[in-house]
Amino acid sequence: MNAAKVSMLRCADCAKVDSVGRVVCSGCLSSRLEASELSGEGRLAAWTTIRRAPTRFHDDAPYDIAVVDLDAGPRVTGRLSLDGSPPTVGARVNAVKLDAPYTLFEVISS
Amino acid sequence: MRDVVIVGVGSTPFGRHSGTPIEQLAVRAAAEAIVDSGVDRERIGALYLGNFISGPMNGKEVLAGLVAEQLGLPDIPCTKVEGACASGGIAFRHAWLAVASGQCDAALVVGVETMTHAKTAATTAALNCAMDNENDGPSGLTFPGLFGLAWRQHAQRYGTSRSQVSAVVRKNKGNGLLNPLAQMGATLTDEQIADSPPICDPLQLFDCCPTSDGAAAVMVMARELAGGLPGPAIDVLASVQTRGSARIAGHPDLCTFEATVSAARKAYAMSGLTPDDVDLVELHDCFSIAEVIDSEDLGLVPRGQGGFWAAEGRTAVGGQIAINPSGGLLAKGHPVGATGVGQLYEVVHQLRGTHPNQVAGARVGMTHNLGGTGVACTVTLLRRSDA
Repeated sequence: MNAAKVSMLRCADCAKVDSVGRVVCSGCLSSRLEASELSGEGRLAAWTTIRRAPTRFHDDAPYDIAVVDLDAGPRVTGRLSLDGSPPTVGARVNAVKLDAPYTLFEVISS
Repeated sequence: MRDVVIVGVGSTPFGRHSGTPIEQLAVRAAAEAIVDSGVDRERIGALYLGNFISGPMNGKEVLAGLVAEQLGLPDIPCTKVEGACASGGIAFRHAWLAVASGQCDAALVVGVETMTHAKTAATTAALNCAMDNENDGPSGLTFPGLFGLAWRQHAQRYGTSRSQVSAVVRKNKGNGLLNPLAQMGATLTDEQIADSPPICDPLQLFDCCPTSDGAAAVMVMARELAGGLPGPAIDVLASVQTRGSARIAGHPDLCTFEATVSAARKAYAMSGLTPDDVDLVELHDCFSIAEVIDSEDLGLVPRGQGGFWAAEGRTAVGGQIAINPSGGLLAKGHPVGATGVGQLYEVVHQLRGTHPNQVAGARVGMTHNLGGTGVACTVTLLRRSDA
């Protein structure tokens, strides 16, 4: 799979990087927020397997969720693609391209 | 600011109240608190009602006014407050503020929720309203999922084990057996807990609080005016509300909730007390691992030692610090909007010396109510007036 970026927002006035879903910068209240694509490389901070899913995700369950500390700084949540043995916290991960409303990460080395 | 005391409490059992309209549960608990307090209804100057999801679950709003009307209260401001699982604790803080600031002499707090009548999918959808659905929602994260993530990090950093966390479950389920208001007291073995169905790894079924109906109520009054009342007044030494991140990724460390740490620090400063002064706490164990984290965040257990202390029996009734002698959310139940007020009900009975699972000689008690992803938190410190 190809490496993908993680979508965030960057303030054009104070350069603070925030999560999506915002209309003003939480640092300076500027509304000049610009899409910012960060490298999807980072480290796994925590992960879990959701076995009882909300209704709209029933067909996906069970699925894995990751909290990732991006090398670029921010911490983000997303799905985790697990093929082999369970990863350890701190494992290197990368975002992979996927047509979905969430970011999918895969483990590249433990 | 005036000193404030709790002069009356009331509660329905937590559990299933099939077919009982939500406002009637609230009225039952509130009427009990009014009678318990001996306060004339004409002296009640405000009502605050904590509730989370009566709209989506029952199609009912304006609960505060609805309840006040059924209680025959005078023309007073009646306000519903919402802060997910901390709704009840926030309602209490508003009532405390109203009395402490001199806006009124007595105020009534009610917390209520009904959930068991709905299908699980509807309940889950309603509870997920407390999440940042622009950021955490799209991946399929759930609240049990948040605590699965936290457990994994806590285990890796501090060595917290399945059997240590099971000690929390066994303790709280056992405490619940002694509490007539509790929904799910039980005697469980480590094997039964470890064999229960997985929910969000490492969380299993017995690590999760049940779905509950219930209501609780508390009457607060200015200390200087409470002299002639029948019951023993309980001092409110601190009432604090704080905010943490609304996003799971907004927590720099999943082994701690910054809103709890901040609320505890402010509550100790406000009261002049230290963690060593606290005899018991009713804290927000929505999941077993949450008790481990909360006990550390509140400064009651050294950082990283929550699991060890539970396994060593130090958090049992009779131990160093009694945690959740009521059974907590795990066993007493979690009717969301009622939970924070129910915690106050439990601690007041402990400080009166009338609790069915009494902590011997209890002088100081704490409550801790945490909402959403840790976005809202309240901490209260109470003391027996003669202590």
